[in-house]
Amino acid sequence: MHEQKTPFIRLAKRDAMPGGQVWCIRALSFVAALLLGAAIFLVLGRNPFAAYATIVSGALGKPTAIRQTVRVAIPLLGTALAIAPCFKMRFWNIGAEGQITAGAVAASYFALFWCDALPGPLLILVMAAAGAAAGGLWALIPAFFKARWGTNETLFTLMMNYIIIGVVKWLQGGPWEGRPGSQIIPQFDQKAVLPKVLGVHCGWIIVLALTVFMFVYMRYTKHGYEISVIGESENTARYAGMNVGRVIMRTMFLSGAISGIVGFMVASGANNTLYDGVAAGVGFTAITVAWLAQLNPFAMVGISGLLAVLEKGADTLHTRMSVPASISDIITGIFLFCMLGCEFFINYKLIFRGRHEEVSKA
Amino acid sequence: MKKRLLALFLAGAMTLALAACGSETAPSGGAATPAPQTQAPSGGGEDNSVAKTVKVGLICIGDENDQGYTYNFIRGKEAATEALAAKGIHVDWVVKYNIGEDSSCEDANLELAEEGCDLIINNSFGFEEFMLKVAPEYPEIEFISCTNQASWGDSLENTHNAFANIYEGRYLAGVAAGMKLQEMIDSGEITPEQAVIGYVGAFSFAEVISGFTAYFLGARSVCPSVTMKVQFVGSWSDATEEGNAASALCDAGCVMISQHSDNTSPATTAQSKGAFHTGYNNDMTGVAPEASIIGTRIDWSVYFEYAIEAVANGESFDQDWCHGMDMGAVVMTPLNEAIAAPGTAEKLAEVEGQLGSGALEVFDTSTFTIGGAALTQAFALDTDGDFTPDSEEAVFDGAFHESHFQSAPYFALQIDGIEWLNSAF
Repeated sequence: MHEQKTPFIRLAKRDAMPGGQVWCIRALSFVAALLLGAAIFLVLGRNPFAAYATIVSGALGKPTAIRQTVRVAIPLLGTALAIAPCFKMRFWNIGAEGQITAGAVAASYFALFWCDALPGPLLILVMAAAGAAAGGLWALIPAFFKARWGTNETLFTLMMNYIIIGVVKWLQGGPWEGRPGSQIIPQFDQKAVLPKVLGVHCGWIIVLALTVFMFVYMRYTKHGYEISVIGESENTARYAGMNVGRVIMRTMFLSGAISGIVGFMVASGANNTLYDGVAAGVGFTAITVAWLAQLNPFAMVGISGLLAVLEKGADTLHTRMSVPASISDIITGIFLFCMLGCEFFINYKLIFRGRHEEVSKA
Repeated sequence: MKKRLLALFLAGAMTLALAACGSETAPSGGAATPAPQTQAPSGGGEDNSVAKTVKVGLICIGDENDQGYTYNFIRGKEAATEALAAKGIHVDWVVKYNIGEDSSCEDANLELAEEGCDLIINNSFGFEEFMLKVAPEYPEIEFISCTNQASWGDSLENTHNAFANIYEGRYLAGVAAGMKLQEMIDSGEITPEQAVIGYVGAFSFAEVISGFTAYFLGARSVCPSVTMKVQFVGSWSDATEEGNAASALCDAGCVMISQHSDNTSPATTAQSKGAFHTGYNNDMTGVAPEASIIGTRIDWSVYFEYAIEAVANGESFDQDWCHGMDMGAVVMTPLNEAIAAPGTAEKLAEVEGQLGSGALEVFDTSTFTIGGAALTQAFALDTDGDFTPDSEEAVFDGAFHESHFQSAPYFALQIDGIEWLNSAF
């Protein structure tokens, strides 16, 4: 009787697994992703070895390619760093997309209208500060509502994305439009463009500095401690006398400000203009980066680098082997799926019906 | 420990299960399938000794599934390839589809330059700014931005613009539409005041304004009582909105629909509302056989053939190219004889001849007024970057000379008889 009611597969939380095994599972999942990707290439009638070689050489084979890859990685890393403290606090900020856009709008305002009034370096600093402030304020709105009335931050931050993207569309077709009817905002003056260091806009230095900052902030400061306590249990935090609402708002402002700086870097350094797709989905992909890195800033450097290699490499694949461009997304998706999926097996075990006896004995 | 190993195995098995068949066939399949042959260069190697090979990159904003804008470029690409093959020039195309008008376009240009393309063609207006960031780095590669306008003034030797005198095709489509309307008036189907054209425009952009004005003037040349309403959609390609706009125009009393947008939904909407239609970019008589009379499109193969041949022979070519019916760069799609007014084909041939000989100017200033007055002065080019034309007088010899000083259209005036229902875009 009892035996029949047991589901065929059950899940059980697993005790901590030894580090070696954990990495073994991760390595296996990486191999699995490679094989699944190879299957896709075979279906398309392409040699998988050649395809992977093309991806790697396309992303890292030449100095120009490396520069492009780094440019893809910069906003991913920056945004992953931005959302890390929120996620640590279990505040599900999926509004990084909008916060990036808000930062880009504010930075673009100064690039377009204050260009003649400010000297070059000061203009860049003002743009960065404006980007940070706008991104921070855009994030503060849902944080305030959450702290004050307990609104759902997931929905709220998501909805805020669409509002600011709508604002950019309006600016593109209205007050900031260049050639009438073109829906294109003019390119910034050279003064408002982030200078290049080693061939890539210096955003890469900014995000690396932010990586160290975020590591120290989360691990060694009082703020970081408060964030992790709230993440574990809000009641504990309250019992310990923390002002939970204030910490939520402060952390979201910081998160939004970093996203806003990313927006400034993308608008000023990469595009030299503003358009509605300025965030280009980075706000969402960065969630995966942060999660895969288990919120460790240094691990994020590696993960965002890996994703950038995949993206740039798949682009070259598209050019050289004439596979459809969407294969890029499929391959990236497979890697993310396997890498996120393996965390599941690290945290849970599967129990089959037949094994019931053995499990109960254990 | 045993269970842990089992779990470990399961973890692998779950993800591997799907890959299993792939991994089994991987070594044999990889060797057996002649996959590397799909890389065109090795195939093209055979006739290298006799033929010149040009590697050409083409960056497209969409793909051929749009059946409109990008599809028209792909048709041009294929026709040019054939024509050049006959001249002993082999073209090795590398096409990148669905590229955005942002830094991904810069990446695409870089990518193609690094892959060794001799010529890189950008097919959308918004690509030029990003192309111009790459072009100075590769002076030995020729860069083309179709439909754009910076090359005459960007001080770079290796950048080019190209367009076609599409207003000529628009004018002819207008003549066909006007004849149909006049036929309806003569048969008593509508009164002269009811001869209203509805035009679905993408944006209030010079290219669009120039197109619908030419179309309207063509219609009015054969149907004097015609008027036109223009509804802007706010997108180059949004099938639903284009259909809605066409539907609203029909409800507002328009009996003839035309469009400057990428989809066929205005044609199908016109048919379902009992109105007639003339198309753009593609022959739309297939989707709306009872409504669509004729269409016009740019035949890009003419320019592609010209530019690629020049590159193959190591010659320089025009930095700002614009031709029309004189070279077949603008063509009419087949006339739908079943619904067109009698005599349309003959009339079109006659007008085409007049346009070709210069006897007829599309923007003849004696045929239209602006705010009740004739047009005597209008600048063509913007030289100081404020997006307001400030130099080169376009009005002379009794006509506004479109695409004369630069290939991209610059007629952006609102003439009497055309009503803009919205101009927010």
